[in-house]
Amino acid sequence: MVAEPQTIIEARNVDFYYGDFHALKNVSINIAAQEVTAMIGPSGCGKSTFLKLLNRMNDFTPGARLAGEIFISGASIYGPDADPVDIRRRVGMVFQRPNPFAKSIYDNICYGPRLVGIRKPQDLDVLVEKALRAAALWDEVKDILSKSAMELSGGQQQRVCVARALALEPEILLMDEPTSALDPIATAKVEEWIKNANLTIVIVTHNMQQAARISDRTAFFFMGELVEFGPTMELFTRPQETQTENYITGRFG
Amino acid sequence: MTDESHPPAARDRGTLLKPKLSPTEKGARFFFLVCAISALGQMLLIMVFLFTEAGRLFVSLDGEKGVSLGEFFLSQDWYPTYPSPSYGALALVAGSLSVTLLSILLAGPLGVGLAIYLSSMAGRRSREWLKPAIELLASIPSVVLGFVGMVAIAPFLQNALGLPSGLNILNASLFLAVMATPTVASLGEDALSAVPQSVQDASYALGATHWETIWKVILPASLSGLSTAVILGLGRALGETIVVLMVAGGAAQIPLSLFDSARPLTSTLAAEMGETAIGSAHYHALFALGAVLFVLTLAFNLLAHYLGKYWRRKA
Ligand SMILES: Nc1ncnc2c1ncn2[C@@H]1O[C@H](COP(=O)(O)OP(=O)(O)OP(=O)(O)O)[C@@H](O)[C@H]1O
Ligand SMILES: [Mg+2]
Repeated sequence: MVAEPQTIIEARNVDFYYGDFHALKNVSINIAAQEVTAMIGPSGCGKSTFLKLLNRMNDFTPGARLAGEIFISGASIYGPDADPVDIRRRVGMVFQRPNPFAKSIYDNICYGPRLVGIRKPQDLDVLVEKALRAAALWDEVKDILSKSAMELSGGQQQRVCVARALALEPEILLMDEPTSALDPIATAKVEEWIKNANLTIVIVTHNMQQAARISDRTAFFFMGELVEFGPTMELFTRPQETQTENYITGRFG
Repeated sequence: MTDESHPPAARDRGTLLKPKLSPTEKGARFFFLVCAISALGQMLLIMVFLFTEAGRLFVSLDGEKGVSLGEFFLSQDWYPTYPSPSYGALALVAGSLSVTLLSILLAGPLGVGLAIYLSSMAGRRSREWLKPAIELLASIPSVVLGFVGMVAIAPFLQNALGLPSGLNILNASLFLAVMATPTVASLGEDALSAVPQSVQDASYALGATHWETIWKVILPASLSGLSTAVILGLGRALGETIVVLMVAGGAAQIPLSLFDSARPLTSTLAAEMGETAIGSAHYHALFALGAVLFVLTLAFNLLAHYLGKYWRRKA
């Protein structure tokens, strides 16, 4: 094995509650920079909950409580000095269902940059092209940028959402089952993009083949606990825990 | 692929597929069809009655010459009981429009503001008392509001501003605004709450603040519903009778300032219908006012419909 990659996200003894419900139990994990980390586990085990902690999207859930600490690039994101808005700019998110705004493709991509005060059309044009190229969508939409994003196919919409997140040049991209609403061809395009992307990606997926295909490391969650975390190949071929083995072999309720 | 030997026109187009209905379902369907037709029928009957009674004003009655359409719509002299009466509706239409538009200038922003607060800012606690409070406001009988306007606001306006009378379009608009605000607020809240949480999440996840999300995502997506809410509030104010009868002052003139007295269409109808002989020119003139009110209301509803459509298409 080569030198240990650098840690960009560190969760330390994280407990999370929705009101009285204990959704995450003492989760500690180090996520490496520039890698793809997959999160797998049965429905309701807390994958989305954990993902949303990384860009503070759980702040909006009434009754949400957190114990423990999460660091991104060494800084605590729940510390007193942390600015959630700034964190969300640095940590982008793509949701399970494509959720483009009812605006043109162009305006969708520009949403984030405009919020940070980029207004010059020349600058925005450059950003839009760059983001759409990065999301492997440029060739399909370059002539219809003023068309409403709602009129695109599901796969194209999801890549608009990817491009929209990338336009802010985030350090990290969180993806919550980004292909679960897509057909195989659109899925392949998004997967292709993930494999070649040049940034840190944390992806939740229900599809174990997908995790195996695209991720460097995989985390297995079960009932709010992080059961096992390691290089994807090892986790799928030589799982250390019986729970992991039961899950990946399908011997599981 | 089309088969070359069969031109498309010659193809069997198949039979139309329809859901199969059981006898009970057919019965239910018939019942609701009757309901729909009877509602439509009532509406038609009222319209026919209104417009024929109104139309008689413009044809000759009892040997007297009918009123000309020009006089009715362009004259501002409403002297129905004079020896040589005149039936100009312009001042009354102006009275209705001035109090209505003035009231919506107040109720529109206030109602939309309340709707925004309720739908995306208020905590659960403040919603719990604010919503019933707004519903309560909507349920106050208008005669009570009119009474408050007469005995409290009118003397106050009169003394504070040194006016000859506090019964004027400002006073009337204030109370019409009180009555239209709940309509705008609750319809507006429905429109704002219909914006899916998923696109709001998208906005937050891109580093937008709460306010930026409201301004750039929630408001544009609900413009259609909001414009409908405001115009239906306008309709509410236009049709209101008792409040304007009590506090607008009642002078049949085109109001030129906030402190002028006015006589809206509704209060004219309410005040004069009881005192006129059935079948007289005055009687038919009142029906003609009713028809104007009906057309104005219809116009506002159509406007709401088209504005709603327009913003939906733009969004
Ligand atoms: N807003 C909420 N309020 C209360 N409980 C919640 C809330 N969101 C999630 N939960 C609960 O927390 C647990 C973890 O949910 P989470 O969405 O993280 O699961 P998940 O692993 O992403 O599942 P899935 O694979 O089905 O998406 C579940 O038991 C769920 O019922
Ligand atoms: Mg989930």
